[in-house]
Amino acid sequence: MQRFLDLAISSVLLAGLYATMAYGLGLIYGVLRVVNLAHGGVIMAGAYLGWLSFSRLGLDPYLSIPLVVAATFAFGVFMYRVLVRHLPRGAAGGPQSLLLLFGVWLVIRNVAYLAFTGDDQAIRTSYSTKSIELMGSFVSVNRVVVFAIALLTPLGLHFLLRRTYMGKAIRAVAQNADSCTLVGVDVERIYALTFGMGTALAGLAGLLSATLFSFNPAFGAGELLKSFVVVVMGGLGSMVGLGVAALILAVIEVYSILVLPAYLTAAVGFVMLVLVLIFRPGGLFGHRVLG
Amino acid sequence: MTNRQSTFPKIACAVLAAAFAACKSGPAAPAKVSIGATLPLTGAEARIGGFFKEGYDLAFEEANKRGGLQVGGKKLPVALTLLDDTSTSATAASLADRLVNNDKVDFLLGTYATNLVEAQSTVAEQNKVPYLNGGGAATQIYRRGYKYVFGLLAPVELLGNTLMQWIDLQQKAGKLPKPSKIALVWENTSHGKDFRKGISEFADKSGGAYQIVVDESFELNGKDFSALLGKVKAAKADLFLADAHLPDYIAMHRQYVAAGMCNKLVSYGARGSEKGAIDALGRENVDYVLSAVWWSNQLAAKGGLAKQFVDAFKAKYNKSPEWFQALGYETARILFAAIEQAGSLDREAVRQKLAAMKADSLLPGGTVELPAAFGQQAQNSFVVQQNLPDGTSPIIFPADVATGTGVAPNPRCKG
Repeated sequence: MQRFLDLAISSVLLAGLYATMAYGLGLIYGVLRVVNLAHGGVIMAGAYLGWLSFSRLGLDPYLSIPLVVAATFAFGVFMYRVLVRHLPRGAAGGPQSLLLLFGVWLVIRNVAYLAFTGDDQAIRTSYSTKSIELMGSFVSVNRVVVFAIALLTPLGLHFLLRRTYMGKAIRAVAQNADSCTLVGVDVERIYALTFGMGTALAGLAGLLSATLFSFNPAFGAGELLKSFVVVVMGGLGSMVGLGVAALILAVIEVYSILVLPAYLTAAVGFVMLVLVLIFRPGGLFGHRVLG
Repeated sequence: MTNRQSTFPKIACAVLAAAFAACKSGPAAPAKVSIGATLPLTGAEARIGGFFKEGYDLAFEEANKRGGLQVGGKKLPVALTLLDDTSTSATAASLADRLVNNDKVDFLLGTYATNLVEAQSTVAEQNKVPYLNGGGAATQIYRRGYKYVFGLLAPVELLGNTLMQWIDLQQKAGKLPKPSKIALVWENTSHGKDFRKGISEFADKSGGAYQIVVDESFELNGKDFSALLGKVKAAKADLFLADAHLPDYIAMHRQYVAAGMCNKLVSYGARGSEKGAIDALGRENVDYVLSAVWWSNQLAAKGGLAKQFVDAFKAKYNKSPEWFQALGYETARILFAAIEQAGSLDREAVRQKLAAMKADSLLPGGTVELPAAFGQQAQNSFVVQQNLPDGTSPIIFPADVATGTGVAPNPRCKG
């Protein structure tokens, strides 16, 4: 029984990490219909930014969240203004945007190799290996904090999208950009802000990952794949769906160790991805517009 | 005009005379020994590639300071053509082809990392160029029946075996229970598979002294090891023996410590004593962790070639070498020895000398051989180290090179 409880706690905490990785990808696709392949590169950049502010400025990684989010937001807006805005959107722009953003990822990665070499880096705080007891299980403090931030993030996004003018404009642009232009919404500005927000969420995911794992410039590839699985399962554009999909993925991955060899548990998510694409291509929760 | 007319026949005659002389004396004697190599100087393995380069550079510098290699009765300078394979297998293979067919090098030194060595060594074999590497340990590289491929890095099976030899001594001394329950956790790579083979074969032959209660592999760069560690905890293992690369060691051991786990002995294979892991995990969390590596700079304490190498390395780079630099240096040194023994740059002659090689070495054991029975892969012992609370990581096994005494079981574990 205790073993099942341990696995349940692990699943929930892992789901928090997966959801954090996927929010940015889901937001950008939901509004711009662009698959941001640079997402993995920004996750890696977020990890390095957190590491730099910890090692050079002595800033606790959780206190550096505003710094990392602001820096990656600015980078996202810059990327949109300089590159992404020139691309056709939706299915017509698919190949171009995929190639361009993949190229951006390669550039980010190689800049990181130049700046930091290929050495593995890690953030070690006084609480990196500390744990708290939860229903008889020892749970890493860092994983609990990551989970809490993963819960707060969609709440913040929900508030932003539902209660603010900018959020309403983002939802309106996601539904029909042409009509928004007719009623005076600055669509290009909304696109730039959304791309910036999605990129900032990727940076946040990178920073949070850096509190748990070591990383190097190749970091982010596995995270991008997990994000894809969550976004496709959750339904493109559905924030609540992303959270639930992350939980389903984590539960299945963690509990599968009871029946499968450990090395196959990582593949379970990709099998699920294929099944969802075949049987429910709109995602488990359908295609909503930033609900 | 008259002057030009009279000069031309003289030059033509001189050229013809030179050509005739060259024809008469056969192929020109080589002016130098040309050796080619690639290393991952950029990309994922850039750090270690840089370490191997330091080893190669030192070996070439020393050889040339002595006047070069003794080939056919005279000293020839030895030159290294080193290219960056960018940590990718395809580039490693294509650059090896370029070195052989365009740059016309005489011999090849290997790159670092199993997948790169595996891809590159095929090119060497196809072109019949002796290829000596110190960066590929996986036995699969040496089980293809290749004649021109040689490896100085002992197989990871031996790593597991050497670790178990020390553990067995502790068990025989009554410090560990008999039978000891082993949780064996390994990365799903050739490295991990070889490690598993070394441990499980030792356990099988122990007559019941060891019982493997968990035998699980995991994918590289895992995000969550809690379920796997839960299995280890539930099995109540005495020994937790894992094989992991640095990122997985850090992620797994953080979760191990946070989960309050404590086994009588813990090892992550070759990981444990390096600074990167200690920085990421905290010294107090890696105390008593065992590791087994191909070489340690503590071997210099016994003098001999290891000391000569460490002294020369410190003089040149102002830092202590790790096993990567030692293997780079030793690989080049052994190739030089084979060339000098052959007394010529004939590739087949040098290949035969490598196949019959038995030379003094800075590697554990003090000599090196490349036996055909093991696919021309060296079988030198590993050295077992243990992190101690005083901040040192002495060699605790084999006894003849030990610089400290190991502790078993972990005194911090209750029960």
